[in-house]
Amino acid sequence: MSILEINKLKKSFDGIEVLKDISLKVKEGEVVSIIGPSGSGKSTLLRCATLLEKMDEGSLLYCDEVAVKDVGGATIYAPKNELRHIKEYFGLVFQNYNLFPHLSVMKNICDAPISVQKRDKEEVKQEAERLLEKMGLEDKKEAYPFQLSGGQRQRVAIARALAMNPKMLFFDEPTSALDPELTQEVLKVLKDLAKDKMTMVIVTHEIEFARNISDRVIFMDGGVIIEEGTPSEVIENPSNERTKSFLTKMKV
Amino acid sequence: MKKKTIIFMLIMSLMAGMLVACGKSSDDVVNTEAGRTTLIVGFDAEFKPYGYKDENGEYVGFDLDLAEEVCERNGWNLVKQPIDWASKDMELNSNSIDCIWNGFTLNGRETDYTWTDAYVDNSQVVVVKSNSGIRELTDLADKNVIVQADSSALAALAGEDASEDNKALRSTFKELQQVGDYNSAFMNLEAGAADAICMDIGVAKYEIEARGNDFMMLPDTISSEEYGVGFKLGNTSLRDAVLETLYEMVEDGTYAQISDKWDLSDFACLGNEGTSTAKELDAMAATTKDESFLEKFADIAGQLLSGVGASLLIFILTLCFSLPLGLLICAGRRSKIKPVAWLVKFYISIMRGTPLMLQLLVVFFGPFYVFGWSLSTSYRFYAVIIGFTLNYAAYFAEIYRSGVEAVPVGQHEAAQVLGYTKIQTFWKVTFPQMVKHVMPPVTNEVITLVKDTSLAFVLAYTEMFTLAKQVAASQASIMPLFIAGLFYYIFNYVVAFIMERIEKKLAYYK
Repeated sequence: MSILEINKLKKSFDGIEVLKDISLKVKEGEVVSIIGPSGSGKSTLLRCATLLEKMDEGSLLYCDEVAVKDVGGATIYAPKNELRHIKEYFGLVFQNYNLFPHLSVMKNICDAPISVQKRDKEEVKQEAERLLEKMGLEDKKEAYPFQLSGGQRQRVAIARALAMNPKMLFFDEPTSALDPELTQEVLKVLKDLAKDKMTMVIVTHEIEFARNISDRVIFMDGGVIIEEGTPSEVIENPSNERTKSFLTKMKV
Repeated sequence: MKKKTIIFMLIMSLMAGMLVACGKSSDDVVNTEAGRTTLIVGFDAEFKPYGYKDENGEYVGFDLDLAEEVCERNGWNLVKQPIDWASKDMELNSNSIDCIWNGFTLNGRETDYTWTDAYVDNSQVVVVKSNSGIRELTDLADKNVIVQADSSALAALAGEDASEDNKALRSTFKELQQVGDYNSAFMNLEAGAADAICMDIGVAKYEIEARGNDFMMLPDTISSEEYGVGFKLGNTSLRDAVLETLYEMVEDGTYAQISDKWDLSDFACLGNEGTSTAKELDAMAATTKDESFLEKFADIAGQLLSGVGASLLIFILTLCFSLPLGLLICAGRRSKIKPVAWLVKFYISIMRGTPLMLQLLVVFFGPFYVFGWSLSTSYRFYAVIIGFTLNYAAYFAEIYRSGVEAVPVGQHEAAQVLGYTKIQTFWKVTFPQMVKHVMPPVTNEVITLVKDTSLAFVLAYTEMFTLAKQVAASQASIMPLFIAGLFYYIFNYVVAFIMERIEKKLAYYK
């Protein structure tokens, strides 16, 4: 069963087509990295998949449940309550963390499971503590986001997403705002998640990292998927000229 | 904190110093009359027929005609200086005007000014709507009667020197209200917010003639009083010069001629037997004893305290209603439904683009002038609260809007992905962050509100500043105004202190 299924997705902003006919399936436990130059549509793809952006055409399914239907060049979104349910299948980690600055680390993590999923407070708290321990942040429970480093903030953001018990996680350039040394601590968390068979779609500029962690790598440019395959196919032996030139630039 | 206390003490002592300065009566007279070239006459520009603005925008009237003639005979240049009646003493004491010549009742003020002889003998009458059924003074029982603030009518009915008959009459009224000027008194009467106006006979005759048959005067008068020209206490040389010229005018008939012109012959009394003379009045002024500064201060502060409650009530109720209403308006302003957003935008532009004073008048008188509804007395207070709330809510809405827009879009997206509903997103994510952003501008507005409560006077709602102006007028001293300023300052000091505490509380995150 596919966790995520996108078919023939199209999206334009002010008449400029940013995504041209994108289809993508992600299986349970699969780690997919999306690479490509800026403006290639990677982030827009993620935003459409996470329902932050409205799709113009195409369909979107999570665990075979229809979120967006394509009806002859237009889209119909599922009713609100169904979408609310579907949203629980995925989580998203932003480039800028987007933690809630007025809430403590613990509240950042616990609030949505308690007030959105209506789960038991004690149970959620225990899970949050477990997650923070996993992230190496057990001593930051009562800290506020401004008191944390970028890497710590991003790890809290990941814990926040995981606390919702999603089937899969999206990462939108999770390390782009970080110093190299802070990058490593976040990437380590992602590797641990991959080991635990978490389904992930990661938009990243870290080619090395993508090669190590991914089951599949997708190279996007100009709103289309140019090439996809295993890391050795796409990164080590790219067949397309655009992929080659992009990878050359990234290595410099 | 220490630094602040020092500044606070400094300001206090500064104000106290000013009060002492105000308390002193001035014995230094500036002008010697030989070199005088101008006479500046202070008058309330709405006091027909003594001094007012006519259809052509000219200041005219009986008193101004007399003054014109006096100036001509002395070779002075007459300056007609319209003043706010409540600040007449400040104008006089600061030498901004030379005299008050404007149907100025001398009874009860004998010792506060240097007076000429009485030149008009005036009585107070009651004006009612012709169709009201009120025909004599006893019909006024359980009615709302309105007077001009600090007017002779007020003094006659409720002043310290009011006669027993008048006090008894006043006690039959349902309420005795005060307004700033006769125009709003007639508006109140017309709108049904008052049943009768008590006012000077000369003014009443004039107003009824000008306004037509809808109004009538009751045949019984209330009390007799006299008008004189008031000079700064001790300025006898100018008074003597003016009085001398006035008597010349009596001799050659000019005085009678001018009285005739303004239809006041029945009242003009200069030189008549039995009227007050400058000599008698000077003697009275000489025998007054000085009250000590502290006694006076305590007395005035005590009188103002009763108005503090009213100001506080306006302040608290306005905040209670306008702070939440602002949120609703802010939501409307940001609404995706275009007509709603436009409507709210228009509302905000009206509230911000017109004076609050005018808005208060519209809220109070609007129901009558637009829909013809008769106004109840209790509506006066509601109108104050509604007017203030509508105005402040518009300002708060715009402040909230800036606060909401300062919350990064990523916060909404994070909430959206986590599955928060729109309402949850607002209350859990946007609102707490917005509150922190808006604290400094909201503090500004709240402090402005403390001072704006004084605008309630346009609806004759007696809050502290109105009271201060009345006390200032009745005591011919500006000290009450400074004490009122002191009250506002303390009030705002407390407000600023509380707001600062809240801001500090919110500083737990960045």
